[in-house]
Amino acid sequence: MVCIRKATIDDLLAMQACNLFCLPENYQMKYYFYHILSWPQLLYVAEDYNGKIVGYVLAKMEEETSECHGHITSLAVLRTHRKLGLATKLMTAAQNAMEQSNRAAFNLYTETLGYKIHDVEAKYYADGEDAYDMRKVLKGKNFHGHGGHAHHHHGPGGCCSGDHKE
Amino acid sequence: MGASLPPKEANLFKLIVKSYETKQYKKGLKAADTILKKFPNHGETLSMKGLTLNCMDRKSEAYELVRLGLKNDLKSHVCWHVYGLLYRSDREYREAVKCYRNALRIDPDNIEILRDLSLLQAQIRDLAGFVETRQQLLTLKPNHRMNWIGFAVAHHLNLNASKAIDILEAYEGTLENDYPPENERLEHGEMLLYKVSLLEECDMVEKALQELHKKNYKIVDKLSYKEVEVSLLVKLGQLEEGEKLYRALLSMNPDNYGYYEGLQKCLGLYSENAEYSSSEIEQLEALYKSLGLQYTWSSAVKRIPLDFLKAEKFREAADNYIRPLLAKGVPSLFSDLSPLYDHPEKADILEELALEIERSLKTNGAFPGRVDKEPPSTLMWTLFYLAQNYDRQGQYDIALAKIDEAIEHTPTVIDLYSIKSRILKHGGDLAAAAALADEARCMDLADRCANSDCVKRMLQADQVSMAEKTAVLFTKDGEQHNNLHDMQCMWYELASGESYFRQGELGRALKKFLAVEKHYADITEDQFDFHSYCLRKMTLRAYIDMLKFQDRLHSHPYFRKAAAGAVRCYVMLYDSPPKSAVEEDDEMAKLPASQKKKIRQKQRKAVARTKKEAEVKNEESSVNVSKSGKRVVKPVDSDPYGEKLLQVEDPLLEATKYLKLLQRHSPDSLETHLLSFEVHMRRHKILLALQALKQLFRLDAENRDSHCCLIRFFHKVASMPAPATDAEKLIRSVLDAEQPSFSQLQGKSLIEANYLFLEKHKDSLMHRAAAAEMLYFIEPNKKAEAIKLIEDSTNKLVSKTGFYEWKLKDCIAVHKILGKVSDDHEVASRWKVRCSEYFPYSTYFEGCKSSVVTRNNVQDDPVYGSINHQEADQSAMPLSSNGTLENVEALKNLVI
Repeated sequence: MVCIRKATIDDLLAMQACNLFCLPENYQMKYYFYHILSWPQLLYVAEDYNGKIVGYVLAKMEEETSECHGHITSLAVLRTHRKLGLATKLMTAAQNAMEQSNRAAFNLYTETLGYKIHDVEAKYYADGEDAYDMRKVLKGKNFHGHGGHAHHHHGPGGCCSGDHKE
Repeated sequence: MGASLPPKEANLFKLIVKSYETKQYKKGLKAADTILKKFPNHGETLSMKGLTLNCMDRKSEAYELVRLGLKNDLKSHVCWHVYGLLYRSDREYREAVKCYRNALRIDPDNIEILRDLSLLQAQIRDLAGFVETRQQLLTLKPNHRMNWIGFAVAHHLNLNASKAIDILEAYEGTLENDYPPENERLEHGEMLLYKVSLLEECDMVEKALQELHKKNYKIVDKLSYKEVEVSLLVKLGQLEEGEKLYRALLSMNPDNYGYYEGLQKCLGLYSENAEYSSSEIEQLEALYKSLGLQYTWSSAVKRIPLDFLKAEKFREAADNYIRPLLAKGVPSLFSDLSPLYDHPEKADILEELALEIERSLKTNGAFPGRVDKEPPSTLMWTLFYLAQNYDRQGQYDIALAKIDEAIEHTPTVIDLYSIKSRILKHGGDLAAAAALADEARCMDLADRCANSDCVKRMLQADQVSMAEKTAVLFTKDGEQHNNLHDMQCMWYELASGESYFRQGELGRALKKFLAVEKHYADITEDQFDFHSYCLRKMTLRAYIDMLKFQDRLHSHPYFRKAAAGAVRCYVMLYDSPPKSAVEEDDEMAKLPASQKKKIRQKQRKAVARTKKEAEVKNEESSVNVSKSGKRVVKPVDSDPYGEKLLQVEDPLLEATKYLKLLQRHSPDSLETHLLSFEVHMRRHKILLALQALKQLFRLDAENRDSHCCLIRFFHKVASMPAPATDAEKLIRSVLDAEQPSFSQLQGKSLIEANYLFLEKHKDSLMHRAAAAEMLYFIEPNKKAEAIKLIEDSTNKLVSKTGFYEWKLKDCIAVHKILGKVSDDHEVASRWKVRCSEYFPYSTYFEGCKSSVVTRNNVQDDPVYGSINHQEADQSAMPLSSNGTLENVEALKNLVI
């Protein structure tokens, strides 16, 4: 149905479009460049049978702190492509890639990220897939992301901070 | 630096430089002023002060000071360097390079300036210069890793990959055996993978594989390692090894289609166009069956066989594929299968299967041949599937019946409304489609996808201001609309530009198109920081990819659309220039005095309103002071309607700017050369028009537009006066030499060529219309014949199920052509009535089922009801206050 593969530089514009279409947290292209040029292994896309990018994950390594760990910067799946377990597949791919690059322990979606896996609804779908129910408290209001629609933003670091605004 | 100053001031000077580097501009400014009090003419201080001001958004002062500084101290490399940095900040790269070169003439071994120069050279792709500068840097500081890598990359970019390999090997030779230390392993591994890619590029595939194996333990990124390894193995024909590796990769990610393709290639079971012999199909079937047992979680392994299986086997596999997905309620099922609809046989089977399932669910509540009852939602998703199936076949009536049934079954599922909206859009009822999308949006106000969908539909229906108000519900800051621009939301800008263009608002359309064009300029600029960053980070493969991506950036469809849109605006502006003040006054003079007064009043009020809005915005923006103390002044848009954009002296000359980009980056798009033809015909650049014509014929000689251009061109040529000047004679000789290359015209008059074209394509509506248009163009007295040509076209039934061949968009185009050919209103309206039968949902043709016609009697219909409540919605929408998520929350309570 949908191909899960490492993102290439040619996917970035489509990833940005996907992000703008379905998430409220957006980034300029430079931020996508920054990601792929810093951690080229950690960007994955979900591409449908017609070659359209319908989801992506942007992950990064936190290297400044003493203990190296991974972050998910942004994860999106188009509303039209829900119920395929894409978010989980993308997350898994990114996580595997982090492990492949063998860089210590990871702590995804910790409280420091502002995200919590509120609940994992085991075997939620008919074919035995799990559904993540991820929640994030936004501006003191309860904003409830859909299963797998999650986003988190981290200020870019290094020389490439660009003019991205919080 | 600052050498000519006494110690106290020299220290202050250092402070300026340091403050600049750490972005403490106020501090730097203060230090500069202290020095200048004592030495008002000190060149370097003046320069640095200018550079500091440049970062505080005081551009004109900056240039003044920097130039003055340079004038006072022409022999200072600092002043030249600063001047270069200033140009560089304004993206004037070539000027900046000149300044750096002057600086280097004074101080040839200045590492900092050399480094800055190398970045610029990489940016403007002065590759020979880049190599030279990187070599100098390496010679000056050979103990820096970055300088080795930079030198290698420079050679690689300059198309000398083998030299790059030599440099990397020399660099490796300088390393200790136990290199790298723990914290540099990833970077070193990246360098090794880069080297392997260079070897591959030089066709030393075997050596690349050896190198890869040899350095195995030093390469950290194991996934890349395996992917590179397998592609090298396949290149070397070591297919058995390749197969093993692909299987290993699949076990890591069984949803990567590329791995399946690779595996098939290794097994000798791959064909580009998915055409296989029956024995191959059997082998493939067996392969995927075994893979399916291994990777139960993979959806790819189930979907791929549908591409190669045929007939009964296909039916069985498709049936097994769709059932669980219908039961689970996967909304994308249809779009997943839609490529199969390109094969009529498979399309029929899929439709039959879905109908069988529908029947069975309705009668037994279970799938065909099963006893277990399905949940009721399965029927709804089946109807949802069928609706899309019929939509794709152009049978909008049945599609709508199915989707309405689904909505009646379960009125709370958003996807149903989105699809209904899409069907109505295809049927030609854009307003109803927008209303439906808005209804879908209101069902989940926290979902931006539903919001974006709705905005898209509103723009298609030319409801731009509604669309804008809806879109900003998801943007931040006070400046909501700007936020869409700041975040480079290009689909939105393009869609609004196109809508404005349709409505004849050229200024606003241009503004949107040029906004997108600017995003691309910004993206080009974005690469600058990465020239040094990637050398440090060692992400060299990604860096090279990025540079290549940048080189073809402007061929991206978004850019193409924006540039084409801009060119179209300029052409239209040329054809119908906006009325000058005098003309307007003339028209005003014709009006009665009372009306005149009213209009004037209105204009005054409008001016006052815009002014006030601008003032309010100004106040808001001046409050925005960020942490760094730097004022975040969002410049007020002084030209919200793009009126200034319309005040160009020569619109066609302006158009050529964008045309050139299209010609360079999208040479294989018909549109590029069509636009080029239009522009150059208007500019009377006959040879450039000929060039466009030749390109059109290269791409598609049978295209209707190509034909029209051919006729128009040689018609113009025939009407040209006999050449008088040398230049004209030269042009004439080129034309005479080129004409025979158009076989359509050999030994034929234009009128004959036109008839031949008609004969060749007499079954195609659009070609007939083109021939008719050209007939009228060549011989206006043959108007009646031209009209008859169009009206005699027949719309044939295409399939057993009764849908017609003609496309709505073509029929609308023909309607417009008829309007052009004949001023007789009757002719166009005859066409309209005829088309309203074919397209009952089209608002353009006022079809009987379109919302223009049914608007008055839809109140009872729960689905169409939203057209009416749209007005109510509008008032509930926060206009320009602060529509952030809180507002969305508030709205949610309001509506639900």
